[in-house]
Amino acid sequence: MVKRKVAALEKVEADLVSLQYKIRRDPQSYAQEFYDQWLSYDAQRQIFVSAPTTASLDDVKKFHDLVDLVAHVADLYPELTAPYPDHLKELLNRHHAVLNSELRGKVVGSLVLIRRKEVIDSTSLLTTLFPILISTPSKTLRTLLYGKIISDLRESNSRTTNHRLNKTIQTVLYNLVTSDRTSTKGMWATRITRELWRRQIWVDAKPCDVMKEACLSDNEKVVVGGVRFFLGGDKEREEAEDDSSDEEIDVRRVKHVGTINKKTKKRRKAMDKAISKVKKQEHKKKAPHPLNFSALHLIHDPQGFAEKLFQKHLQNTKNKFTLENKLLVLQLVTRLVGLHKLTIISLYSWFVRYLTPKQESVTSFLASLAQATHNLVPPDALEPLVIKIANEFVSEASATEVAAAGINAIREVAIRQPLCMSETLLQDLVLYQRSKDKGVVMAAKGLQSLYREVYPQLLQKKYRGKEATMGLRSGETKQRKFGEEDVGGIEGIELLEQWKEEQKTAKLAAMFAEGEGGEAKIDVDDDGFDSDEWEVGSEETDSSGGWINVSDDEDDGPATKRPRTDSDAPPLVGEDNGNAISEANRISKLATTSILTPADLLKLQELRREANVEKLLGSKTAKRKKELIQRHIDEGVTADDIEMPANIGKKSTKEERLAMAKDGKPLREEHKSTQAIRKSKKEALGKSSTNKEKARKKNFLMTIGKARAKNKRSLTDTQKSLKAHVAKAKSGGRRKNGA
Amino acid sequence: MGSSNKKKKEKKKDFNKAKLKVGKAKAKAANFTDTSFKSKSIVVNQEAIAVDNIDPTKQFKQNLSLAATSKTDNIRRDALSYLINQLSAKPRHDPIGTAGILTKLLPLVSDSSKAVRARLLALFRVLPPSEVRPHAEKILMYTRGGMTHLSNDIRNDTLNVMEWLIEVAGDDVVSCPGGWLKTLNSFSSMLGWNPNVGSAMSSKGWTTGSKTLLGTKKGPESQARQMQVLAQFLKAGFQPEMSAPYESRAYWDNIYRLPGMPNPFAYLNLFGTPRDEGSEMYPDRTSRKRVFDLKWKVAIYTGIDGAKKEGGLVGRAAAALDKVLAEGLKEGNSVPEN
Repeated sequence: MVKRKVAALEKVEADLVSLQYKIRRDPQSYAQEFYDQWLSYDAQRQIFVSAPTTASLDDVKKFHDLVDLVAHVADLYPELTAPYPDHLKELLNRHHAVLNSELRGKVVGSLVLIRRKEVIDSTSLLTTLFPILISTPSKTLRTLLYGKIISDLRESNSRTTNHRLNKTIQTVLYNLVTSDRTSTKGMWATRITRELWRRQIWVDAKPCDVMKEACLSDNEKVVVGGVRFFLGGDKEREEAEDDSSDEEIDVRRVKHVGTINKKTKKRRKAMDKAISKVKKQEHKKKAPHPLNFSALHLIHDPQGFAEKLFQKHLQNTKNKFTLENKLLVLQLVTRLVGLHKLTIISLYSWFVRYLTPKQESVTSFLASLAQATHNLVPPDALEPLVIKIANEFVSEASATEVAAAGINAIREVAIRQPLCMSETLLQDLVLYQRSKDKGVVMAAKGLQSLYREVYPQLLQKKYRGKEATMGLRSGETKQRKFGEEDVGGIEGIELLEQWKEEQKTAKLAAMFAEGEGGEAKIDVDDDGFDSDEWEVGSEETDSSGGWINVSDDEDDGPATKRPRTDSDAPPLVGEDNGNAISEANRISKLATTSILTPADLLKLQELRREANVEKLLGSKTAKRKKELIQRHIDEGVTADDIEMPANIGKKSTKEERLAMAKDGKPLREEHKSTQAIRKSKKEALGKSSTNKEKARKKNFLMTIGKARAKNKRSLTDTQKSLKAHVAKAKSGGRRKNGA
Repeated sequence: MGSSNKKKKEKKKDFNKAKLKVGKAKAKAANFTDTSFKSKSIVVNQEAIAVDNIDPTKQFKQNLSLAATSKTDNIRRDALSYLINQLSAKPRHDPIGTAGILTKLLPLVSDSSKAVRARLLALFRVLPPSEVRPHAEKILMYTRGGMTHLSNDIRNDTLNVMEWLIEVAGDDVVSCPGGWLKTLNSFSSMLGWNPNVGSAMSSKGWTTGSKTLLGTKKGPESQARQMQVLAQFLKAGFQPEMSAPYESRAYWDNIYRLPGMPNPFAYLNLFGTPRDEGSEMYPDRTSRKRVFDLKWKVAIYTGIDGAKKEGGLVGRAAAALDKVLAEGLKEGNSVPEN
């Protein structure tokens, strides 16, 4: 008798995989087989559930395989496998602590898989995984779940933003943070939120709310998580964005490689992929930059938040945070105060205790103080602090670094609120520019130049400098009062207005010169552009339709013409002369009475350039100061800023100089020639050697025959070959490079 | 001379630069250490070498664990044989108890080796029926898993286990949670009579054969056997209930004594997960019959009709099944319940 052949499927090892393959190819015909396996799955599940802790390895393995099979084909038999997701969820919820780690991973993976096949939706997946994430003691499971949660959220937001899902998850996270403020569970909320913020999946106010609540938690870890998010989350986001566009593909190189290597399907696919990626990147570059607000701007009720944060974590004497974390919280509070111009009076008196040179990381405190200052802080609150800094830090006896840091801190405060200084103190501090230490000198000079601009009256006459003295005499430099704000406006708007007037009168003159011509044309062309495109930009006279005539124009005249009547020079120059022009007149009404079109704005730019408006905007230092303040609004003051002048004139150590020299240069592990480094780089890129190199390396014995033959050539032969060589070179070599 | 030249060359060798060749791997450095391997601990199942002078209890346990976990078919088979010997010896040597043995050995129901499965059945047969009965539900779970196993051989051998189970604990089998409906489901799926599949796939217009069965020819023997066991199962399910003989103490025992069987209030399902229809308990004949009429009667009769037409071995088995069914259902109608 012939031995019966065992069919492939009867080898118990390989069967489920091939069954899965067959089912996916033809689900209709294999329904019966699948149903059998479904029953087996059900039986195994019951066996497992009846004794999850003592299940034998064999059973677990079988169950594992069946779970895998069902997950892969669940979308094909939706009715049969309807209870499957619930089974998995229940299994995970009830037994995640005792499940075999491999099986546990499989169950999680299967859930994610059926989510990808859209058997279940993201919300139900995430609401299953999330409670386990925060309750499980197993680190591997946590890592797994965290990764899956993030990737699922990413996936479901990849095409369009899934607002519904985001809202649900954000609410879950919010509740997690607020429900139990003492537990560390909030950590997960902060981690997930921060990651999604970094990836720009969540960019609205709700995640900021979650983080805000995290900041107000009782648990130190959670608080630090939240605070760090506000201080560094946006920067992280920008960096992540830069990173993603970093990997550039050289299309030329890819194409070249394609021509050389063997042509295979795989290589072609890789090339197509690379090219499409490049196209995508280019598309991305051209796309308008997404308008992302920083987290600090999206906070709802910053005043209340900053106050609470301050009272809870800083003012509260029972708080036992480490100094480092306290500083973080302080940074956030002061950042908020500076950015939103909040008023927390008690904050300034709180600072007093920490402003001594002996205080650990005092420069951070000084930086925070500078950060917390803005022009709406009452000078009375700041003055004692400034005096304290001056007394504690700045004296002949103190170390030069300390004095420099002190003066610099005072300067940083004074930039933002110049009224915080008394005359005697300033004069005293300015005198430190006679010090021997360069850092102190620079700091004192900085303070002096600042006050020359903002409040020269406080300085002694000899320290005021030419410009300030002249400004004082002409009455141009005025001391700003507390709470006074700049009057806003559009730079050079007067120029535009004037130009428009000129255009109009020129048109009118031309019109009258011609004698007649449709009056209705006047306003149609009055702004000198094709008004079919920019109808909005035409003046209000448009509204009167066909009725426009010269008299109508005269009505409009006085309001818009006024600036031009003052002088022939551009209005800003006229202002420089100190002529009595009322403030109301100076502000053009153009922007308030009509809408500026893009064409208008372009013209405005051009005019500004012509009139060299930028020169009139103020001295360089003023501009620099403005920039400085702007920068600090964006990034905040750091301890480094305070310490900087102290380092001026200090000689750096050899290590520092070496590090500086090495910075930005290619890495050298060993001593090697530049040539060798270049060569190894080339090799790493997969490039081969040049012909020259090959020739040089060629075995001597192989070349010797040719060399001998060359020597034995007749004169004509030599000539022939030389000529051929020249001709070849002329036509661009073998590759015909020139042609 | 020659040797000195050789020595010279050898000495020089150290200072020669290794030549690199295109397409060849770079030569390994002299002090190269291969770190590519990963160390793995080797776990050897404890297999004692010394045979004599071993504590019999210990040996029993060892064999039990070998039977359950050994990777080699023959070792499993031999271990099972040893266990059978011990259990069937007079006096019987069973230091672990039926429950322990069952927990360990039940996964072997769907073992890949035929010999092991055969020995397992033999071992089951030497277990005392009274001790098996409380574990009917558990055994049934494994049996159901085996009945729908991919491998045909395993299915057939599982039927033998089923047959044994019906023999020793027929009443428990049909009345335990999930024992009635789920087992019927498995049987009909085995025979290809399952109505669920058709409705789920909503395949109309095609007459599907009873079963495609991957790669194996479905012999009429196996189908006949399946029907035969199904008939036994139905017979057990529709067995008329005997009223328990009168016992004067029974009434008072019921009220005041601790119940003698495990989980006496299983039907209340106090601590388990809520059951669905399939895994519900159908403790008496009436309820079983009701559910059967509702869910399975049509499907099974259709299947029987089809099988009868096939004739031969299958037809005969179908006729026998039909007879059992008719008897069971009829009897229920005529005999009044007391």
